[in-house]
Amino acid sequence: MKSQYFAGVDIGSTMTKVVIMNEVVLASVIGPTGPEHRKLANQVMEEALTKARLAFEEITYVVATGYGRINVPFADKQITEISCHARGVAHLLPEVRTVIDVGGQDSKGIKLKDGRAVDFVMNDKCAAGTGRFLEVTAEELGVSLDDMGRLSLEAENKVEISSTCTVFAAQEVVAKLSEGAALADIIAGLHEAIAIRIYGMVRRLKIEREVALTGGGAKNIGLVKALEAKLGFPVLVPPEPLLTGAIGAALLGKDIVKEAEKKGETLVRSERRLTEASIFT
Amino acid sequence: MVYVAGIDIGSAFSKAVILAKNRIIAYQVVPSGGNYKLTAKQVTGKTLAKAKLSLEDIAYTIATGYGAANVSFSSETASDISCLAGGVHYLFPDARTAIDIGGQFTRVLKLDERGKATAFLLSEKCAAGSGRFLQVIARVLQVALEDIGELSLKSKNRVDFNTGCAVFAESEAVSRVAEGAAKEDILAGLHRTLAAKIQTMVARLGVEPDCAVVGGGAKDVGLVKSIEAGLDCQLLVPEEPQIVAALGAALLAEEKVSKGG
Repeated sequence: MKSQYFAGVDIGSTMTKVVIMNEVVLASVIGPTGPEHRKLANQVMEEALTKARLAFEEITYVVATGYGRINVPFADKQITEISCHARGVAHLLPEVRTVIDVGGQDSKGIKLKDGRAVDFVMNDKCAAGTGRFLEVTAEELGVSLDDMGRLSLEAENKVEISSTCTVFAAQEVVAKLSEGAALADIIAGLHEAIAIRIYGMVRRLKIEREVALTGGGAKNIGLVKALEAKLGFPVLVPPEPLLTGAIGAALLGKDIVKEAEKKGETLVRSERRLTEASIFT
Repeated sequence: MVYVAGIDIGSAFSKAVILAKNRIIAYQVVPSGGNYKLTAKQVTGKTLAKAKLSLEDIAYTIATGYGAANVSFSSETASDISCLAGGVHYLFPDARTAIDIGGQFTRVLKLDERGKATAFLLSEKCAAGSGRFLQVIARVLQVALEDIGELSLKSKNRVDFNTGCAVFAESEAVSRVAEGAAKEDILAGLHRTLAAKIQTMVARLGVEPDCAVVGGGAKDVGLVKSIEAGLDCQLLVPEEPQIVAALGAALLAEEKVSKGG
């Protein structure tokens, strides 16, 4: 039998992720999300195909997810990021029952049962409790976002910062700096604030172990530690926490193909052409 | 002549009012900046100069607002709610509802016929309900804060926002500008979003006419019109909406002096 390949395209608010899989991940690419999602999805997919040494015709099924999923003209199917995250985490870390995903502009909690999402909570209405909170406050401090987590661990005397509003927190940061608070102490306070906010939301789900942390937030060691302190136990972080949604999308594509084969159905697929769409819908 | 002063140190602006015999002698408004102690001295000094008085001429001083504790020369401090209520009642004796749109918070008050606050709500948790929201977007659009009201009235095709969050609205405004939306249309959308937040607060308290709007936000004619449309009632706007709490503080000071003989 001819080998099958599955692609998952996850267009987040900040990053676009593509994986190509058969039994394992053959190639993955992470690029920033531009204002024109379709165009970029196109380029990131091409890059992933080159890495996997595959032609687009060889991809059996393409699933798009993330908030920009409708802007992927070459996808065969769109599936919500909740389902894709659930599938991806269940595959990578089967012992996980609760997923906390901290993205650039949203955060969510997902309850898993038998590898599927059974409940979720989400915040995409308020920047506090999302990656944006740290992005805005890092800029106010003149610290690179990538350094925030590491610096927070150097704190000796954590400063209390408001967790309810990013704008007010940014103002507080300036005030604390002028009062002479240490940079690391302020940054630790910011991580505490975002952890309070995320924990407060996810707690509504009745958190069960094990807990996985995914999304860009999982790459921030300060946030991992702050959330662990709130939870009272360690969290699991997948090797590449940005890719769980894309992996889940590819795996759900595989599930769809296997199911169709079993029933002897023919799947409808989009044309295998990586051109950008000229009309936005 | 007995002179009294009211000083309101707000998060964005500081105001001072000097009263004599229940009449405003002089007032000043200055940006608060980062050093409230210094600002308190400056705004009072400027107001005294305008009235051609010195601090020794002032019989009683009441401080209020976010930074009231920084007014070292005040006789006492008073709550911003009671000062606002007193100031609104002085200007509009028939007002039973007052909306104060400040730099950091929005407050909604219910007043009785004597000018006492009987209930109030505060938008303290989120910048989206306050003047801060206007500042953030004015900066993105590169329009002076004092010009956004008039400009928004020229809107013919309002661009509505998908978010109530000031941070997300900032990025949304950037995207809309990039797509070529007109500044006035974006501003009209922004006013609608902020007005909706304020209306929700007013509705929770129950609007009772007459309704007055004060604070820096009341100087934004686009915002005032948007709230009027939402509440379906005319709003009373003072000539100088920013000094209402300082005026209320001065009125309280006058009361103290007259009671004390």
